[in-house]
Order: sequence, then structure tokens, then C-alpha cells
Amino acid sequence: MLSLLSTMRTLVVRQQAGEALRCLHLTAVAEAARKGTREKARKKKVKVEVKKVGFIPHNQRDKKINVKRADKHVDDSWKQVPKDDVYVGRYYRWPVYTVAEAIQCHRETHHPSMYNVPNAPLNVEIELNMQGEKATRFVDNFQRMAMIPHKFHHGEERKIIVFTKGNEEIAEARGAGASLVGGVELIKDITGGELLLSDYQFIIAHPNILAELVALRGLMKRKFPNPKSETLGTNLAEMIVKFSNGIAYSAAKDEYQQNFGLITASVGTLDMDAQHLEENVRFLLQDVNTMRPKRDGRFITRVLLKSAPSSEQLKIDPFVYISELYDKSAAKSSRDAKKEVAPAEPQAAAAAAAAN
Amino acid sequence: MLKNICVTQLNLLRRAPSLQQQVRTTFVLKRKYEPLLHKTNEKPRRMRAKHFIYELVEDTLVKKRPNMEVVLKTFVEGVGDKGDIVSMKPNFVYNKLLLPGLATYKTPESIAKYSKTEAEKSAVQHSSAYAQRTVNMLGSIVLAVVMNKDEPWVLEPWHIKASLRKAGFHCKEECIRLPKERIEGPDLKKENKEFCCTITINKLEQATLRCRIHHWSTDPSERLPYVLEHWKLPAEPLLNVGQPETESTQKNA
Repeated sequence: MLSLLSTMRTLVVRQQAGEALRCLHLTAVAEAARKGTREKARKKKVKVEVKKVGFIPHNQRDKKINVKRADKHVDDSWKQVPKDDVYVGRYYRWPVYTVAEAIQCHRETHHPSMYNVPNAPLNVEIELNMQGEKATRFVDNFQRMAMIPHKFHHGEERKIIVFTKGNEEIAEARGAGASLVGGVELIKDITGGELLLSDYQFIIAHPNILAELVALRGLMKRKFPNPKSETLGTNLAEMIVKFSNGIAYSAAKDEYQQNFGLITASVGTLDMDAQHLEENVRFLLQDVNTMRPKRDGRFITRVLLKSAPSSEQLKIDPFVYISELYDKSAAKSSRDAKKEVAPAEPQAAAAAAAAN
Repeated sequence: MLKNICVTQLNLLRRAPSLQQQVRTTFVLKRKYEPLLHKTNEKPRRMRAKHFIYELVEDTLVKKRPNMEVVLKTFVEGVGDKGDIVSMKPNFVYNKLLLPGLATYKTPESIAKYSKTEAEKSAVQHSSAYAQRTVNMLGSIVLAVVMNKDEPWVLEPWHIKASLRKAGFHCKEECIRLPKERIEGPDLKKENKEFCCTITINKLEQATLRCRIHHWSTDPSERLPYVLEHWKLPAEPLLNVGQPETESTQKNA
């Protein structure tokens, strides 16, 4: 028994010696430090919880990922030109109609014996190549008003407020069909809160009232009259007619294809004279063409004439009304013309600078 | 002597390898590291291992081959008439024209041999390469002629023309021949009843077009209920109008 105890003691003593040996290399301080860093590292490690995602229906999935989309600019120039007098459309290039022919085609389908909607609106779809001067820059979405020579009932309520001094101009504006015409007293009403500017879609002003009108700039914001959007000028009657009868259109870029823009606008009804409709189309196309970026190549790529309830889309050639390619000399001359006009209207130019 | 002749004959009648195929194993390569220039009148430098590393410039196997020109021996639907020189993809030419014997390679002799004679020119059988395809397609469809349910009408060729245009077929009014009987409406007894009219392509080929009248009202509540895939369902003839007459004129069915 004693001998056993003695052996155990020796064992314990030896063990103690071993611990002492270890302490030679690792101090208690270092041990504590390491413990701390390990703890820190453990805390740093954030447990990633894998969320289980159930089945998402295909129509609700995120559409921006990994979807190959067809180019919206349709090019069928690789197809043949039909030679037969009866042919299957899908094997050949789209037929290009004149506006008169296209209207005639729509009138056939809308005839009382078929769809019986002879007064259906004639819609124009203008497809644009929105690429800017550089391949990575694009033309911004724009909203404009095109002046048309032959007015039609567009079905929108357009209220126009006109600011001007002088009895002659007021009478002229009233005669042209403005909703409200006034001068300094009108500005006071608005600043006093008796009149709401938001009731009026369009604000037109004569340069002679510009100094007083600056007080309303905060209220009008982007609607503040300026010559660039043709809401500021001396020819009040023409501007009012344009805004009450013109075609309001907006060009929107495609959500997924930035270089594809689309304008949908109505140019009249099918029971109007075909020539009048053609004139309206011409003015609309010319107005769209003013937004052309300074680069080579086409801006308007395709123009389709549509008319509900028929689903037919008839292609027309826009380049009989506008020039197809970017004309440097024309752009230059128009800029020169603007320069000549500018000194004549110093007030208007100043207003433009103020508005911008 | 005899032996000699036999030997020469054997040499003459030697079998040619039958499987002589064009093998395109040409690869255009470029050295990755250019070897240095050597001095004049001296041996070129020894080339190192790196000078034998190449980069691929062009693989002729995957290069697109140009179109082939052949002379047609007969009329081929969708390609051309006899004697026409057509330029098409080489695979199509080999498999669909040369192997079936419809065309030969373009040589001055073959052009002269297969050009159309005066007699053949006068006896025109096909107005164009694609007319037969149009005939087949017109024969296979059922044209929906949408007519008004409220306004009185008499069916005229331009109704068919507009309906064809909606269905993606383009034609002129004078190409359409309606059945002799007058078709009037609105008449709900004629709803979904079938009649045939004849379309003449290039004043030569004739196609029979099956048409069905459908009544349509401008007011949505007045419209007839839509029948799903109505063109697949069998339909009755429209009061026996135009049935025997069109069958006699049917030429290219």
C-alpha cells in the first residue's frame, strides 16, 4: 500500500515537472491573448442562413436576369421582294404602302359591311433608333406637341392659361381660344392662392410680361414658358392653336433595349380626307425629326399605320416627308437661322437662359 | 508481247479511289514569338522551343463556304425554271439539286444545253418559282371572312382581299373570283358556312380558297360567342353555293 502511494507521488511529481517545462515556452498572458483572438474570430463569423425559396411562378420571376430578348428593330431586308401578284406575306419583305393606300386598306376593313367603324382613329407608330452621338449614349425620352394643319377631335381636355400685357394681345389670345387670359392681376391671384396653376396643362406667355412672371417660377417649375418648348413668343394666336389642336406625343425608350424608342400618336380619324391625314402625318414626322441626334444613320426606323379594332399594321415610307440621313449642312443652316432670330428677340433669349 | 499488253491494260484500267473527298485540314497559324533576325551571310539563329508556339488565325473547316452556281435542268419549285442559273448554299445544291439530277454545274456547255427553246418558252407551265407554294398554302387554309352582323352587305372580291390581307396573304382584287351566286347578309344561317372562291396567280395558276363567313358586331355585347379553333372544325357548305363550280375549275389541287 505504501509502495503504491510512493509510486503515485513520483508520478504526480513528474507530471508537475512536465507542466513546468511547457510553461517555459507559453506564458499565461500569451494564452489569454490567443483565447481572445479566437473568440473574436468566432464572433466575426456570421452564420449564413440558407433561406429556402419555394417555387416562383415563371411570370413573377425577376425579368432582368439571363433573358435573351429579340432585337426590336426589325430588319427584313434579307428577304425577297415579291414578284408574283399573289404571295404569302411571311416569305417576303413587308409591303410599303403610300399613306393614301394604307388609309384605303383601313377603310376597307372598317367599312360598314365589315367592322362598321368608319370613324375609327388612325394611329401612327413611329419606331426610333434612340442611339445618341456615341454608341453608349442615348436620346432622352421626350414629350412634344406637333402642330398639325387639319385639326380633329382628340378627346383630351386641354386648358391653356396665357399671360400677357396689352389689350391687343389679350383680345388675340381670347379669340384663339385660350381658357384664361390675363396679366399682372392674374399673377397676383396665383401668388395669393386664389387660382391653381395645376388646373392648366399648358402655360403660354408673351415676352412683355416676363419680368413679372419670374415671381411664378417656383410654382411653374418645368412648365415655365421658354422659347425652346415654344411656350414663349410674340405670336400668341399660333401658339394657342398649336397647343389646343396639336398632337401630343411622347417617345419612350424600351425598358430592356435602350436604343429602341416608340411613339404612338393619333393623327386623325379614318373618315377625314386622305390628303388631310397625310398632311398631319407629314407634320408629325417633321416634328419628330427635329429631335434627331447629331449622328449618321437613321433616326426614324419604321412607321406603321394602325387602326383599332383591326390588328393590321401597314408600313409606310417616312422618307418621302423627311430626309433619311443626317444632313450636316441642313443642321448648320438651321443653327445659323436661329442665330439670326436670336438678336431680334433678346428678351426671349434671356428668358430661355433664366428657364434653363 | 502479250504479257506486256496485259500489263499496260492493267495499268490503264487501274481502279481509282472511289472515296475521294475534299478534306479541309488547312489551319492558318501565326508564331506567338517571332524569331530574331540574323546577320547577312550568316546562318540563321537556332530556334528555341518558344518559337514553335503558334496562334490560330483561321480554321478553314469552320469557314463559311461561298454560294454555288448551278444550271437547272427542269423546273424546281421554290428555286427556278429550266435553264435558270441559280446561286445557292453548297449543301443545298449538292443534296437537293445535283444528287437528284435536277441541276448541273455551271459551264458554258450546260448553259447552252439546258437553255429554254422557243417552243418551251411559249408553253409556260409555271409563272414563277414560288407560285406553286402559294397555291398549296392557299389550298390549306380556311379563310375567316368577318362580315357585319347589323348592316346589310353583299359579298364582293375586296372583302376577300381585305380578309386575306389580315391573314397575311397579299393579292389584287382582279385575281379573286367569287362563286356565281350572290352571297348576301347579314344572315345568321350563313354563319360558319363554307364556300370556295378561286384565286388566280399571275393569270396562270389557280388556287381554291375555302372561306367561312363569320358575323361580327361593333357592339361587344352583341357579338357571337367565340368558338375556339373554329377552322379545325368541319363546316357545312353555304347553301350549296359554289361547290361544283369550283371543283371543275380546280386545276392545281
